[in-house]
Amino acid sequence: MAARAARFNQQVLIDTTPLPDSIPKVKEIGATSAPLLSAAFFIGARCKPYNDDYMMCKTEANGRGELECMKEGRRVTRCAASVIADVNTHCLSEFRKHWMCLENWNQQLWQCRRFERDLNKCVFENLKLEKVIPGAPADEIPVHLRKRQIYAHSYANM
Amino acid sequence: MPQDMPPVGGYEPIQYKRNLPARGFRPAYYLLAVAGIMTYGFYKYGKGVRELNELGREKMWSRIHLIPALQAEEDRDQVRRMLADKARERELLGAETKVYHSDRFVRPTFAVVPENTTD
Repeated sequence: MAARAARFNQQVLIDTTPLPDSIPKVKEIGATSAPLLSAAFFIGARCKPYNDDYMMCKTEANGRGELECMKEGRRVTRCAASVIADVNTHCLSEFRKHWMCLENWNQQLWQCRRFERDLNKCVFENLKLEKVIPGAPADEIPVHLRKRQIYAHSYANM
Repeated sequence: MPQDMPPVGGYEPIQYKRNLPARGFRPAYYLLAVAGIMTYGFYKYGKGVRELNELGREKMWSRIHLIPALQAEEDRDQVRRMLADKARERELLGAETKVYHSDRFVRPTFAVVPENTTD
């Protein structure tokens, strides 16, 4: 067996047939992981009803529901895409700085608080979306607002 | 003949105790200092654990907020593939065939190779 050369042919088996016209089209988000992570809390802030709706639909379909939850899924995608588009129009430079920092720092949020502060400020002023971590202890400063990040490697990004 | 007698007033006391100066502080101070260092260390450790918990919470929630969007995209892709597969099957076989004696959805094990693929 070992003498046989490995032949991978999965990459040519990607079906490119589009969805039928009976299903409404939706443009996918098309953002990579770092911009998504950077905008995650804003997506959560604006799209919570849609997200909850979709997840409830999936739960009620016993975790499947690919067909049943398509409508909710389209709403979720449109909402998330709208957040990304709004952040791009109003806070493009801050957004870009933050997600590039995340990209460079292994997507560790605590390494990029300087850029995150700017981004949160800009997004709050323009879009009225605030980053809130649910379930955080009420008597402490939320971890993303602390002046000193004890696990950050670089003072320049703190 | 006079006898050999001790000197008047007796011999001087013999020094049998060691006369070394005690170095450093009293032991109790060292104990206190070590206890202080340990307390400080545990205090900082506890702070770090609390901070890590909060950072973990932040990471979890960032993912929780993203899951529906990612899952919706993936589901749409699955539906697209499934419908394309069914359409292909209908085209090839003329009718939709049921492999299983049940209406339950069974994830297909094999798929017909599509005509239009990447590369």
